[in-house]
Amino acid sequence: MLKGMRRLISKVHKAKHEEQHEGQHYSLPLQDMKTIFPHGLPPRFVMQMKTFNEACLMVRKPALELLHHLKNTNFDHPAVRYVLYGEKGTGKTLSLCHIIHFCAKQDWLILHIPDGHLWVKNCQDLLQSTYNKQRFDQPLEASVWLKNFKTANERFLSQIKIQEKYVWNKRESVEKGSLLGEVVEQGITRVRNATDAVGIVLKELKRQSSLGIFRLLVAVDGVNALWGRTTLKREDKSPIAPEELALIYNLRKMVKNDWHGGAIVLTLSQTGSLFKPRRACLPQELLGKEGFDALDPFIPILVSNYNPKEFESCIQYYLENSWLQHEKAHTEEGKKELLFLSNANPGQLERLCAYL
Amino acid sequence: MAAPVMKTVRGWSDLALGVRSAVLRLPGLSQVRWSRYSPEYRDPQIDKEYYRKPLAEQTEEQKFELELRKTQLIKAAPATKTGSVFEDPLISKFTNMMMKGGNKVLARSLMTKTLEAVKRKQFEKYHAASPEERAAIERNPYTIFHQALKNCEPVIGLVPILKGGHFYQVPVPLSDRRRRFMAMKWMITECREKKPRRMLMPEKLSQELLEAFHNQGPVIRRKHDMHKMAEANRALAHYRWW
Repeated sequence: MLKGMRRLISKVHKAKHEEQHEGQHYSLPLQDMKTIFPHGLPPRFVMQMKTFNEACLMVRKPALELLHHLKNTNFDHPAVRYVLYGEKGTGKTLSLCHIIHFCAKQDWLILHIPDGHLWVKNCQDLLQSTYNKQRFDQPLEASVWLKNFKTANERFLSQIKIQEKYVWNKRESVEKGSLLGEVVEQGITRVRNATDAVGIVLKELKRQSSLGIFRLLVAVDGVNALWGRTTLKREDKSPIAPEELALIYNLRKMVKNDWHGGAIVLTLSQTGSLFKPRRACLPQELLGKEGFDALDPFIPILVSNYNPKEFESCIQYYLENSWLQHEKAHTEEGKKELLFLSNANPGQLERLCAYL
Repeated sequence: MAAPVMKTVRGWSDLALGVRSAVLRLPGLSQVRWSRYSPEYRDPQIDKEYYRKPLAEQTEEQKFELELRKTQLIKAAPATKTGSVFEDPLISKFTNMMMKGGNKVLARSLMTKTLEAVKRKQFEKYHAASPEERAAIERNPYTIFHQALKNCEPVIGLVPILKGGHFYQVPVPLSDRRRRFMAMKWMITECREKKPRRMLMPEKLSQELLEAFHNQGPVIRRKHDMHKMAEANRALAHYRWW
């Protein structure tokens, strides 16, 4: 059974992935990776891509299940929320990237927030928002995100037109009917208005996805940051709640299921989270009562460790790329030991094989 | 009256068997490095293959050995020696030498990061090279590590000998163990002292290991300096009496 495990080297067309392909790897063209994923890939995966000169993902059950749901979505019903959860290192972020790649190939508009936790901690400059005095702006994070959004969705920016007039300040404004690309440009060049630009983009996309011109995929990694606590403080050292940050406030509206014409795929993450115990991995523990009620109802998808077939496939992939250089790693004994040491956890296995 | 007497007697028998007594083993020789085990204790056999050999394949000596081990006292195996297939005694020794303040976790993580860095650099070179050159590029971090340290080992060493009120650096043959130690020590001191402020140890170590693998770099130069000094002090070789 295990001898017949081969890598499936098929270029693109995830639409053809079915149950029989489970456990096999497929390679993605590197050019696609640069356009679709300017941000959002796990750093160790980026290193692996650089070392092997190719990007290979394994087809696994959670991703297949999600793809099946996405293929059968009814775009007239409100957007369905899917939440990927699981232990640390099981492959939630990579499954999300798999889904994003699929949707990008199907010509959906991808709204990808690489890590929600980056927006609630370590912010160097917080400005008071011009739009609403109670909220705070984060110019740096917003401008960086807008740049990456532009790289990922170039062609949509010249097609979508905004349906309202927005005034930046006394001298600048954006007229009704101008392209979304202009708003994004304004956000990138004028860093002060970047957060408001992000808010406009989110609002317009939500409004217009219901019209049916394009399909919208909202992908957020580390969504439990939206309802947790922040480590940011005001000048008088009092803590800031997440809803007082304009970016978080707008993103929460995006994740609500009161629009149709797309899907929402979310990932929970304990690794970057603030004030959450290390062992917490279930939605109730990480989202808290507020988050769970806000996201309810959603479809939870568990991402677990490798089963024996997937583990064997992963080892074969490493052996084919000559990544496992240790002589003993090729033997049965070595494989048994790797299984024991990593407990079939994908993240741990990758770290172990890195130095063997 | 009997009770206190019995207590002292019991106290003596409570001492663990095999603990070395305070009496010197040989008159005239003091022990500098000694263990708490007495001489009849034998070293543990960690190798799993030794025990897995079926009875039919073993020679008479090995059968005798096995029987003997059942009755003899055996020392406890140290925590660092595992039965793992991936274990390498040289790597363990190097990790121990890098360790500061008993922080083995940090030392081991630095070692693994170094091996990973070496591997990634070699893979980059491999992909950048033409098909003819690819066969010559070694990608196994363990062979690179072993070869690099072997290249750094000095053939001959210098020892300060006191004669007529002055210390002379006398060239002297070194044992295998001493040579391995000197190679590792030079490598670690080089990486600790000569690196730029913000460079991390794994990066510097991987750089030095790759240079030593190709017989270049500061550690190899130090070995050559040692050889030259030994050559220059050739005349003092007679000061050695062993």
